[in-house]
Amino acid sequence: MTNPLIQIDDEVREMTDEEYATYENELNPDSAPVE
Amino acid sequence: MATTTPNYGWDVPTSTDYVKDGAVAIETLGDDIDATLYTALGGAYPGLRLIKKQTIGTSVSTIVVASAFSATYENYLIQVAGAAAAASGSNCQITFNGSTGSTYYWAGSYTAYNGSNVFHGSNNVASSVIGLTGTNSTTNYNIQVYRPFATSFTSYNTQYATSQYAGQYGGFDNNAVSHTGFSIVSNSALTGGTIYVYGYGAS
Repeated sequence: MTNPLIQIDDEVREMTDEEYATYENELNPDSAPVE
Repeated sequence: MATTTPNYGWDVPTSTDYVKDGAVAIETLGDDIDATLYTALGGAYPGLRLIKKQTIGTSVSTIVVASAFSATYENYLIQVAGAAAAASGSNCQITFNGSTGSTYYWAGSYTAYNGSNVFHGSNNVASSVIGLTGTNSTTNYNIQVYRPFATSFTSYNTQYATSQYAGQYGGFDNNAVSHTGFSIVSNSALTGGTIYVYGYGAS
């Protein structure tokens, strides 16, 4: 499985598993937009 | 015999002055220039000054912006301009690098262009929402950040408009610590666009 990408300054790379866990924890639920 | 410059009256030596007085003359001239610039610009760090500019890469979900906040400025403007999200209407968040726990509060609303309005918010979570994502390079945020470098609560508010929604959010980090940077954390990966960080002149 490929983790999402993180950008630090100009470097773009795949998140480590630890960074991915942090990322998932930082996500608020999607807003279920009304069209 | 010393004289002055024609426009701003800076003190300068003449060709017949003693060389031994040169150091004092240079100091006097430097002080004059310093005073003129300070008055003309309106302070040592006046106005809105660009601190950082970071181009967003391809399909990134988190963008870390380091060394953005310092003692030079108290309040900041962050602009995210022209980023294309993989999906519209996903939450996009901010975190400050001094707070990695669940100390963030946020609330706000968004309106679709058919007039449907949604109010929502959350507290004691790990990030604060700054807006919804937009496709067609319309993920744009205007984020005012208050006192991030101070050892106190950091609060923010945003306005934004994408090609699908418009809205505003505000919130704060319930953690009295100093931050030097921040991250943009998007539920939908972002491609392209630019993050600008400006400082508001404080002196």
